[in-house]
Amino acid sequence: MPETHTPQAGDDRAADNDVVALLMRQHGDIRNLFDEVEQSRGEERRDAFRRLVRLLAVHETAEEEVVHPFARRALPGGEQVVEDRLAEERAAKETLAALDELDTDDPKFMLQLMKLRKDVQEHARAEERYEFTHIRRSTDADGLATLAKAVKAAEAMAPTRPHPGVESAKANVALGPVAALVDRTKDAVRKAMDKD
Amino acid sequence: MSFNPLEQRGIPLDRQLRSWRELNVQPIDPDRCDPYTRCRIIAMNGIEVEAILFSHQLARNTVDPEVKRQLARTRYIEAQQQKVVNWLLPGVSSVLETTIAYEQVAVDLTAWVARMEPDPYLKQAYQFGVLEDFDHLYRYANLYEMIEHRKAESIVDDLTEVMPGRPTKYHHRDPYDNVRDPYDKSGTNPLSKLHALTIMAAEQQTMNFYMNTGPTYMEPIARQLYQEIGLIEEEHVTHYESLVDPGETWWEQLVNHEYNECYLYYSFMEQESDPKVKAIWELHLNMELEHLHTACDMMRRHDGREPQEVLAPELPNVLTFEPNKQYLRELLDTQMDLTTLGAGYVREAHERFEKMQEQIHGGEQPPSERVMVQHDEMFGREYRVQTEGEHPDPAMREK
Repeated sequence: MPETHTPQAGDDRAADNDVVALLMRQHGDIRNLFDEVEQSRGEERRDAFRRLVRLLAVHETAEEEVVHPFARRALPGGEQVVEDRLAEERAAKETLAALDELDTDDPKFMLQLMKLRKDVQEHARAEERYEFTHIRRSTDADGLATLAKAVKAAEAMAPTRPHPGVESAKANVALGPVAALVDRTKDAVRKAMDKD
Repeated sequence: MSFNPLEQRGIPLDRQLRSWRELNVQPIDPDRCDPYTRCRIIAMNGIEVEAILFSHQLARNTVDPEVKRQLARTRYIEAQQQKVVNWLLPGVSSVLETTIAYEQVAVDLTAWVARMEPDPYLKQAYQFGVLEDFDHLYRYANLYEMIEHRKAESIVDDLTEVMPGRPTKYHHRDPYDNVRDPYDKSGTNPLSKLHALTIMAAEQQTMNFYMNTGPTYMEPIARQLYQEIGLIEEEHVTHYESLVDPGETWWEQLVNHEYNECYLYYSFMEQESDPKVKAIWELHLNMELEHLHTACDMMRRHDGREPQEVLAPELPNVLTFEPNKQYLRELLDTQMDLTTLGAGYVREAHERFEKMQEQIHGGEQPPSERVMVQHDEMFGREYRVQTEGEHPDPAMREK
C-alpha cells in the first residue's frame, strides 16, 4: 500500500490563499495528532504530544491574533461569537495546562487527553460554523489571502513538525517554551499583518 | 431462533408518545464509536423517513377521514422515532464525515443484501448498484482529505475498503435504462420484498441528504461533487423502487413497511454493541409491533385479506452489518464494465448510453474526475484503503 500520511497544512501543495480553508485543514491536523498521541506509547507518545501542544499553541494564537479580531470588527454580532470562542479556548487551555503537568505515561493522562480532544473538537466545529462562514461571506479573495499569509507566517516562525537534530528529546516539554512559542507566534503574525 | 412479529404484542399505541426529555438522546462519539453502530443509525433513519413519507402519500390517497386520523396517529409516533434515531448522530460531525458514513452504509448494506438475495434478477440489481456506491465512497474520501486533512479510515475503520469501483462518470445513464422489472408479489420470496424496501429506503435517504446538504459547502469542487453524486442517487432510487411489484395494494404495502421495520429493529437489537443504542432498538421494536398490528387490521378491513398471505411465516435471518471485502473484490473483478440496457445489463456502451454521456459531460471532465486531479495536485497521490492487497482490476491500480 502506498504511503498515505497526510502532511500538515503548509506542507501540502495547496495554494493556501484562503484563510478559512487553511485553518480547517489545521483542525484536521490537530485531530490527527490527537490520534497519534492516543495510539503511541513511551517516547513516541511524548514526542507526538509535544508536537500536538505546539500545533495547538500556534493555531490558537494565530486565530486569536488574526481571525478573532477580524470577526469582532467585521461581523454583525461578532463580539458575542468571539466571546463564546474565547471562553472555549480558555477552558481548553486549562485542560492543556493540567495535561502538561502529567507524564504521558501517567494513568490519568489518557483521561485528560480524551477530555481535551472533545473540547478542542467542539471548539473547532463551532469556529467553522459560527465564525468561518461569516468570514468567508464578508471578505473578498484578497482579504482571505492576506489573513492566510499571516497565519502561515506564524507557522513558519514556530515550526510544529520535528526537524531532526534540532530538538533534543526532553526540550520543549515544559510550559516555558510553549509560552515563548506563543510570543514568537504573536510577533510573527503582527509583522505579517503590518506589511499589508 | 424464530421470531414471528404477528404473534407478539408490543406497547399500546396510546402509551408510545415521548416527552422532550425522552426525545433528548445522547449522541454517539463520532471518533470512538463502532462504525457499524453509526451505519445502523443511518440505515434506520432512512427506514423511518420512508415510513413517514409513505404514510403521507397513503393519507393523500385516502378519502375516509377516520382512516386519515388513524394513519396520522401512527405517523406521529414514527416521526418521533425518526427524531430519536437520527439525533443519535453527533453535532460535531461535519457533513462530509456523515456522507462517508452514508456511503459505508450503502456499500455494506447493499453487499450483504446482494449476498443473501435468493432471486437472481434482484441479486444482479444489488450487485450492479453496490459497485457505484463503492466508487462514491472513494471520491468523497478524497474530497474529505482535501478539505479536512482527515482520512476516511478514521470513519470506516478498515471495515470497508476505499478504492475505485465502477467509475462515477459512467453512472450517468439515460433514465429509460434505469427502470428495472419488478418481482412478482405472489411468487417471490417474502425476504425479497424486505430487501427491496430496505435498499430503496436507504438510497432515498441518501438522495435526500445530498440534495439538501450539498449546497451548504462553499468549496466549488465539493458543491459540484454533491450535485453529480446526488443525481446518481436519483438514478438509484429509480432503479430500486422499480423492483417492487406495483400490483401490491396500498394496505399490503403498508403492512410490508411495518413488517420490515420490525425485522430491522429486531436485527439491529440482536447485533448492537452500544448498550444505549441497543435499548432504543428494543424500545422501537416494541412500538413497531403495534404499528404492524394496526396495519394488519387495516389490510383485513380494506382488502378483505389476511396479512399472513403476503408475509413470511417468521422473520428471516437477521440483517447484518459486517465486512464484505472479499465479496466486493469478486464483483470488482467481474462487473466493473456493466451498464444497463432497458431492464437488463450489457458490457458494451450502447447508443442511448453514449448520447447521455455526451450530453451531460459536455466535453469536460465531471466533478468526480476533477476531485481526483485536485487531490493529486495537493498531495501528489490519491487516497485509498486497500487492506486486502492491490485492486482486483489491473486498470484500476494506482499509477
